[in-house]
Formats: sequence, structure tokens, C-alpha cells
Amino acid sequence: MSAEYWRSLGELEDSPESRAFREREFTEGASEPPDAVSRRTLLGLLGATASLAGLACRRPEEHIVPYVEAPEQIVPGVPRRYATTLPNGTSAYGLVVESHEGRPTKIEGNELHPASLGSSSARVQASVLDLYDPDRSQAVLRRGQPSSYADFVAAWTERAKAHAADGGESLAVLALPQSSPTLARLVADFRKSYPRARVVTWAPVSDANALAGIARAAGRPLLPVHHVAKARAILALDADLLHADPEMIRHTRGFAAGRRVKGPEDAMSRLWAVEAIFSITGGNADHRLRLPARRIPAFVAALAARLRADGLAIDAPAASEVPGVEAGWLGALAQDLLAHRGASLVVAGPRQPAAVHAAVAALNAALGNVGTTVEYREPTDALLPSAGGLGELVTELAAGKLKTLVVLGGNPAYDAPADLGFAAALGKAEEIVHYGSHVDETAALASWHVPSAHFLESWGDARAACGTLSVVQPLILPLYGSKSLVEVTGLLASGEDKPGYELVQATWRGILAGADFDKRWNRVLHDGLLPETAIAGAKLDVRPGAFAEVASAAQALASAPGELEIVFQACPKLEGGASANNGWLQELPDAISKVTWDNPLLMSPATAAARGLKDEDVVKLQSGGRSLELPVLRVPGMADGTLALSLGYGRTHAGRVGNGVGFNAYALRTAAGLDLATDVTLAPAGRRADLAQTQEHGAMEGRRLIREATLEHYKQEPKFASDETPLFSLWTEHEYKTKPQWGMVIDLNACTGCNACSVACQSENNVPVVGKDQVRRGREMAWLRIDRYFTGSVEEPGAAFQPVPCMQCENAPCEQVCPVAATVHDAEGLNAMVYNRCIGTRYCSNNCPYKVRRFNFYNFTKDTPRVLKLVNNPDVTVRARGVMEKCTYCVQRLSSAKIDARLAGRELKDGDARTACQQACPAEAIRFGDLMDLESQVAKARSSDRTYALLAELNTRPRTTYQARLRNPHPALAAAEPVAKGEGHA
Amino acid sequence: MAQIFPQSANKFPLVLALAGVVLPAAAVGFVWYYFSPRFTDVGYQPVQPVPYSHKLHAGEMQIDCRYCHASVERSAVANVPPTQACMNCHLLVARQAESLAPIRDSLKNGVPMRWLRVHKLGEYAYFNHRAHVASGVGCVSCHGRVDEMEVVRQVEPLSMSWCLDCHRNPEPHLRPLAEVTNMGWKPARDPQARARQLEGLRPVKPPVDCSGCHR
Repeated sequence: MSAEYWRSLGELEDSPESRAFREREFTEGASEPPDAVSRRTLLGLLGATASLAGLACRRPEEHIVPYVEAPEQIVPGVPRRYATTLPNGTSAYGLVVESHEGRPTKIEGNELHPASLGSSSARVQASVLDLYDPDRSQAVLRRGQPSSYADFVAAWTERAKAHAADGGESLAVLALPQSSPTLARLVADFRKSYPRARVVTWAPVSDANALAGIARAAGRPLLPVHHVAKARAILALDADLLHADPEMIRHTRGFAAGRRVKGPEDAMSRLWAVEAIFSITGGNADHRLRLPARRIPAFVAALAARLRADGLAIDAPAASEVPGVEAGWLGALAQDLLAHRGASLVVAGPRQPAAVHAAVAALNAALGNVGTTVEYREPTDALLPSAGGLGELVTELAAGKLKTLVVLGGNPAYDAPADLGFAAALGKAEEIVHYGSHVDETAALASWHVPSAHFLESWGDARAACGTLSVVQPLILPLYGSKSLVEVTGLLASGEDKPGYELVQATWRGILAGADFDKRWNRVLHDGLLPETAIAGAKLDVRPGAFAEVASAAQALASAPGELEIVFQACPKLEGGASANNGWLQELPDAISKVTWDNPLLMSPATAAARGLKDEDVVKLQSGGRSLELPVLRVPGMADGTLALSLGYGRTHAGRVGNGVGFNAYALRTAAGLDLATDVTLAPAGRRADLAQTQEHGAMEGRRLIREATLEHYKQEPKFASDETPLFSLWTEHEYKTKPQWGMVIDLNACTGCNACSVACQSENNVPVVGKDQVRRGREMAWLRIDRYFTGSVEEPGAAFQPVPCMQCENAPCEQVCPVAATVHDAEGLNAMVYNRCIGTRYCSNNCPYKVRRFNFYNFTKDTPRVLKLVNNPDVTVRARGVMEKCTYCVQRLSSAKIDARLAGRELKDGDARTACQQACPAEAIRFGDLMDLESQVAKARSSDRTYALLAELNTRPRTTYQARLRNPHPALAAAEPVAKGEGHA
Repeated sequence: MAQIFPQSANKFPLVLALAGVVLPAAAVGFVWYYFSPRFTDVGYQPVQPVPYSHKLHAGEMQIDCRYCHASVERSAVANVPPTQACMNCHLLVARQAESLAPIRDSLKNGVPMRWLRVHKLGEYAYFNHRAHVASGVGCVSCHGRVDEMEVVRQVEPLSMSWCLDCHRNPEPHLRPLAEVTNMGWKPARDPQARARQLEGLRPVKPPVDCSGCHR
């Protein structure tokens, strides 16, 4: 098949496995149980069935349990929404959380908050599941034995006396990077009480390099704030701005805004990506250059030299050519950056060394971008990440200088560099206090363990990346009496056990100084932020020499031995391991590789072929005397010689979901090679391991599914995406005349493939988690999948992303084959799915050309722990075994919007009803609403010239349609790009 | 040659015919009625932990339904009142009544009452009280004359066909919003008077599609 777009290497090579997956609706063995059912279990099951059958004749008694004293404001059955904040290192997301009778169930972004803008990300969506994690730590532990917080307070008070006597000489606190006024105040108090104590930060993946680089360039550490929306030319250097970056919501919104095209006359920004791994940002770039991570400093030096030659006033020395970088490419990039002075943006990723970040800051300053597309602000109230602090701490621990170490969040015994010997050094201290959500790897080594409260259980505050202040407001009392970070820090600082509310309010009495504190405080709680507290960017006086430094850094890396390199990337799903016990995230397919429940070693097909490796072959990877065995997965478009390892897997103390999933990449990570390791050897281990990938699932054969064109082509032929096929039907078609008629338009030009919609759908619609084995059999339940297509050659592919929910066809093929009318149409154009009628023939799924129906092969929710049931949306049925299910356009939200409008005595208006995916999408790529309302956003989008329907030739008349994607290649390079003209599949 | 079949064998076809028609018909009829909500659900009258009398409270004393079931106009569910609501009156009235001991204990110990649910729909059906009450459907239409019941029982089948009967022809069941909780209210016979009764109601368009209730 000479497809221009392909889903996987398997499809391109037409491998038998890939063909089998495409040809069969349900994979071989899809109807088999996960493990052979023994005769004994079978008899047991039969017995249980018989006894249940006997009971069925009597009406089961059901209880109604009302409140004793009704809480004010709670009306049973009516969800309430509260603003709160999810702190995330030195940034924070403002959220609005839905609560049903006091139990938080669904998270949305806060429209007023500058970091979330009403949208969210996959991680933000999934954070509600962590609250109900049944494996959360539930008690204070003293040497592994249950104790109480009062005992801990007493023990700490005793120790504190001794430490206070010598100014905290032998006391250290290891904290996560923070940005919170209250914590900053308490840490300052702590330093006052113990002036000689160490306060060190450690996070396995952080902006430490960026901060160090900016400090080198500007003379002091400043936090960068990028404004992607204002940039017309963007260069991402090993930077995953649109996915792994903590500010991905704001960046994605800005990126989509800079590229939103309403008609052929509109302009688009241009994204250039230089990277070793295939990232979401690379997949969305107009020009992507694959380059091993260690050559990126050299690329920066070469770019600087080129810019200087082209007239930019910088002190860049002449640079030699970088292998793999064509002069024409570099020239076009330089030209684009220079043409957009003041509206261009250069960003380097956290993996790149400080020298690169310094040079990037200097480039941005020279290009006039500082103050427009990028700001560098003072890190007020922040506890900044530092890369080296942990090493010094371990040295002191090992030397026996520290008696007490408090680990304030984080899991360093798992994620500290392997060569530091952190776990061994812990034994030298008298007392190790671990504060965390789980009895994890670090808690197992600690003498005290204090359970931490989830952010939905805590009072706190935070500054967003731009500096905007907001309050972390709890929605529920701690489920297990856990303590918030503010409370524990307060205890450490002052020795007093004060409630978090008091501590936070004490800070805010200073922030909201003046009259009417209560009123203004309540306003902050209500709005979820204190407006106009963003910190303006500082003036950047760049010191000279940054480019010479990056050139010498490049030289040092170029002379590193070996042709292979390991690049460590934080899994964008698991946050370096903290979310490893989150089933939604584990089962979420990786945005590019589509792997679930695993972290294989990623490499380019050529790198694998040179060593005779195929997908799922286990290799022994050695670096710096340490080794790790894990399976290989080939990813097209990666730099040759680059091996990518995801951090966050291979946990041993994560809990029932995360234990033993994947491989612990921290085992190979050293303090010197936190981001990159070059002394690497790779040998086949002679075994194979199974990977659960979803990329072959739900294939729609080689049709024109993705449609894209260059902006130039679009200007010449605006209707390049539309179909001209005449369609006719065999029967009289139903007319849809009443209001509303629901419809959805997904703008592929805005979608970046970030997965936020997919998790939002899972959270809203009680979609179950099925596990790795079931995913391998093609039984994953996601109602909204994101198809990722590669385009072009295996070596230099582009990528395209397509979210595929149910199309809600007007002529739905599924409805015609259902023998029991369990799937039927309603008057508003919804293809309704009636679970209680479904008998599980699966004919509908067989007849669905879009492959969006999911079948409950098992009672996937049967063994759900009680506490985990609390996360379910009470407005949506929890489906049973043997029932088909699929996207309903969030019919529960439509219903409640209609009733709300009716009771308010008005017509339904645009925006009243929003689907979960639409609300979550940071790119605003999903429009939904009433197609009969011609003024609605969805109706306007549907009538745009880029609109097309998937498989329109089948005359299914889908209600969900797509807007074709546009690329904006540089005129000098346009011919070389895979998407030159408006053609989709061959 | 002796006859193979005895004389009585002549009746076989008749017996077979009878058995073939009557027995299946009986079986169908049996299932039709005895498995239906009309038999299984109507009349369900569980014994509640406290012998609360709707007849006394709602009937004789004329307490409005919404005094206790306060969320009916605002929520999908019509709440069962918190213990506190009982004690609003019973702190003053019948303070020492034997039958009220569980209520007093509940308030004292903070342990909620466990009432037995009488009106129950399948969990796949999402009924919304708020929408019905706001459209002018009286409580009595589904719950019957609760004001005349000593112990509440189910009087309607609450089956899907019963729901749809009204959804397809809602007009006879509508009443002025002020009369929604009035158990004894009767629609006027005279068409003009009836029209006046329904003046001011929102036009109703109850859903008859599956997605109206099932999701």
C-alpha cells in the first residue's frame, strides 16, 4: 500500500499482525476470558447464578439515607462547583471542580485563570482520580507501625528543641519546587528558627537548566513566561511546548490562536522544531528537523552564527557546519526569525544544558522578543528547582553530618540519580521524616511517614507561571485525616500545629491588606484568583559570551564517545512517577507511540535495523556500569542513534495499579547525566516482551481520512477538502427540523493531539479502565480516541492527529443492524445508545465504519474498590458486562442544559450545552452546539470551506465533521515537505 | 390383526390441540401479568423504621409536600427530609412519643435514618422531578393520593409504557403550577375552564426518544 498517511510501521510494512488487526472487528481470542476458567470456578459461578436467580423474584430493599442535619447550600442531586487551584511546581492551574453531595467528581479549567483559561490537560483531568486512589497512605507510620499525627507532633517538638539549640546544624529539608506565598512565608520562618539548616529542592524533571541558563545570561535567576499567541515564528529546540511543558494549556491555546484560519485571507504562525525524540510539538511543526539531543547546542551555535552573518547584532563566533543540518534549512529558519523580530520566539527544552538556555535568552533579547513573546520575571515566592542541591545533601548525609532529614513531598529514594546512593545515605541519619501521598519507596526507608492530603483536601495558595495569585480551596475534608503541605511546613517552621486555613489566611491578610478583608477573601475564593497579580517581566540585560559558551558546550558534547545517546524524558502522563497509580493515565495511549501501560526504549527504525532489532525485542541497555533490560519500540522520525527512555515507570511501591508497570529508567540516570547519557551500549537479550499499543486498533482502512494542505494551496483552492461525490439513499430520509439539532466540528488545524479530551471523556462518562492484557486484545474502552497518522517517509515523517468520537451519523449503519433496537436515533440527531436494551450481539460495532463503539467484554467495574466508586459521575450509567457503549455527545449535559433553559424560561443558547471534550480542549479545536442556530459557533465552523466529513462517500451523514489541517511551510522549503498540496490518501 | 391404538387414542389430537393452545396461552398470560410492574410493583408497601403517616401530616394537617421534600423544584431528586426537619416540629409536638424514638436517636447520635425506598425506577432511567414539577405535573399523578395513605405504597406501575402514555399525551395530566402539590385538585370538565386552568403554563414537549431518560 502506497499510502501517503500511515498509522504505524506495521501498516507501512503490511505485517501479518497489522493486517489481522485491521481485518477483524474483534481480535482473535477477543471472546476468551483473560485466564482459563477452571472447572471449579465455573461451578462456583453457576452456583452463584442459580442463587441470584432465586432471589430475583423478590423486590430488593433499597434504603434512602437522608442527612441528619442538612448542610446549608447543598441540594441533593444538584452538583455544585467551586474554584480551586492545582499547584504544579513553580506553576499552577486554576480550576473549577464539580462536586456531587460533597464528593468532587469532575475537574474543569477556570475561565478566569490565565494558566488554564477554562481548559485543562490530561493530567489535570486525571488528578481527581488520585483523590480516591485506594492505595493512598491512610495513617501516620512510625517505623512502619501505625501511629498518630499527635505522636508525630510530640516527637517533632522534642527533636526541634535539640535542633534549635545549634541553629539546625544537623537538620535538612528536601522539598519539591514550589511557588506559593504561604509556603514561602513558612520557609522563611523555618530559616529564621533554624538559620543553619539546609532547605534543598529536588524534582526529577524540572526547569533547573533553564533557570541556570537564564541566571548565566541575566545575572540572576528569572522565570521565563512564553506568549506563544503573539509569536509568528516559533523555534522549539528539543522543547515540547505543546505537551510535556507545565504551561501546555496556555501554550496550546496560544498556538491554536496564532494559527486559526477562518478564510483564505488569514495568516498563520510558523513552528520550527529541532528535536531528537518525536514529540507532539514536533508533530505539529511546519518544519521538523531530527537531530540527536547532543548536537542541539551545536545547532544553536550554528544558528547564532548564521543570524549574525545575516545581520543580527550578536557576539556569536563563527561556527562549523552541524552534521544533519542543511544550510538551506538553517538559512530559511534564520530568515524567518529575522523577518519576525519582536514576534518570534525561541524556546529550549528542559533537557538542554544551561548554556543553550543562556544562548536562547540572548537570541530572544537580540531578536527583540523580550517583553512581547517572552518575558523573564522575578521568581517571587518561589522555591526554585536546583539540579545540584540533592548531590550536596547526599554528601552531607553520607558524612553523618545530618541527624534529621525531612522529605517534604516527592519520592527521592525512587527518582534520585542512581549514582548518588541516596537510599544508602539515608541510613546515616537518625530520623527520616517522609511526607507523601503513598507509602512509597522513600516512605519504606523513613522512620516517620506522614500522609499528605490531596489538593482537593487542602488549603493552600499558589502563583501561576505568570505570577497570578490564587487559593487552593478544599472541596472535601481529608478522607484519611491527612495533612496538607502548608500544615506540615507550618509545624516544621514554628513547632505549632495550626490548621491550614489559618496559615493561608494569615498570609492573605498581608496580600489583601486594607479594609473588608472577609469580603475580598471570599471574592478570591469565589473567582479562584486575585486579578492583576501577574508579575511583569524584568528588563533583561544579557551578559556577553553566551554564544561562545554554547559553542564550547557543543564541542564538549561532540567529542563525547559512542554513537548512541540516551535521552531521559519525563513521561508526560505520569509526571516522573508521581501519577503511576492512576489507571486513567496508565491506560491513556502515549500521544505519539500509542503505547499504554509501558515505557519501551524508543529508537528510530534505522537504529533498530542496524542492530537487528524488531519491536518488542528485549535489549540489555548499559550505561555508566548500570544496566536495564527492556523492550524496544521503533518510532519513525526519531534521530538516529538516540534512545529515548520515559521516566516514571517500574515502580515497586506505587500501589495496585502502578506496581511493576514498565521499567525503571532512573536506574540508568546519573547526577552528571540527568538529561543525556552518551556512554551507551545496547545488546539483544534474546527475549521478547509484550507491548499494548492501540495504534493499529480501530483502523479505517486507507481512505482520505486526514485532509491537509499548505496555506498557499488553500489560498488557491479554498475548497480543497470538500467532497463532490453525489450521494443518494435507498430509503426516504428522516428530516430533522426541530431545534436543537446537535452537531460537532473538530478543527484539525487546531488539534495538537494532547489527549486532554480523551481523559475528560473518561472522567465525565465513567469509562472503565481495562488493563494491559485487555488493551492488547483491542478491548480498550475509550469513547474518544485520537488517531495519530504519520505522513511522508519513515525517516522524516510528519504527523497528523485526529480525535475520533462517535460521528452521530444521521444514516447510522449501527442502527440498521441492531436486532433489539438498542441503538436508535432521537429527534435531536443523537444516535442514542440504550444500555438496558443491549443484548451484546456486537453487530453494531461490526457495521460501524468509524470503529467507535466499545464493548464491555467483562464486568470491568465489578472489583472497583468502594472508595474508587466515589469518582463516578452519578448522571451516567455504569455499564455492565455484555453491553455496547459509545460517545453520546454527553447527553446528560445536554439534558440538564435543556432543563435549565426551560426552567429559566428562555431558549437554549449557544454555549449552554458543552461536551466534556469540548470544555477540556486547550486548543478550542472542538466546537459543539445546535446546527439549526445559524449564529452558533458550530454552525459557522460547519459551513467553513475546510469542512469535510469522514467517509462521506458512505452517505452516513455524520453530525461530527472535521476542518482540514493547514501547514505553513517556509516558501524556500515548501517543495521538500510531505504536505505540498491538498491531497489526502492516494 | 389387533388394533395398534386403543379406542382412547382418538382423543389424543384433541388433547394435543388443547395443550398446544391453552398451555402456551396460559403461560404467556401468566408472564404477561405476574411479571409486569402492574403486579410486582403496584401495592409495594414496605414497613418503614418509623410509622410516619402521610395521611396525618399531608392529609389532616395539610402540610405542603415541599415542606419536607424541599428539593423537588430544584433538583432531579425529591429529597427525603433530614432528621432535623422532623424535629423542627417534634421538639414541641409529641416530644416523648414512643414511635419517634428512632428520630430522636438519629439527631442525638448523628446517625442518619434509613428509610425504605418505595418508588423506584431502573437505575438506567434518569427521572427528573424538577422538570416535571415545573411543567405542571402534579405529585398525585405518579404518587397517588399520598395524603390518604397511612403507610405509603406504590399505586402506579412506574413502567416505561406508563411513562410514555403521559409523555405522548401530557395535556390531561397538567395543572396550574400553584396546584402541583394539591392532592385533591381536579381538572375542570368544561373545555373553556380547562383552557383557563392551563393558561400560563410553559408549552410542554416531553421527550419520547430513548435519550430523554436513558444515558
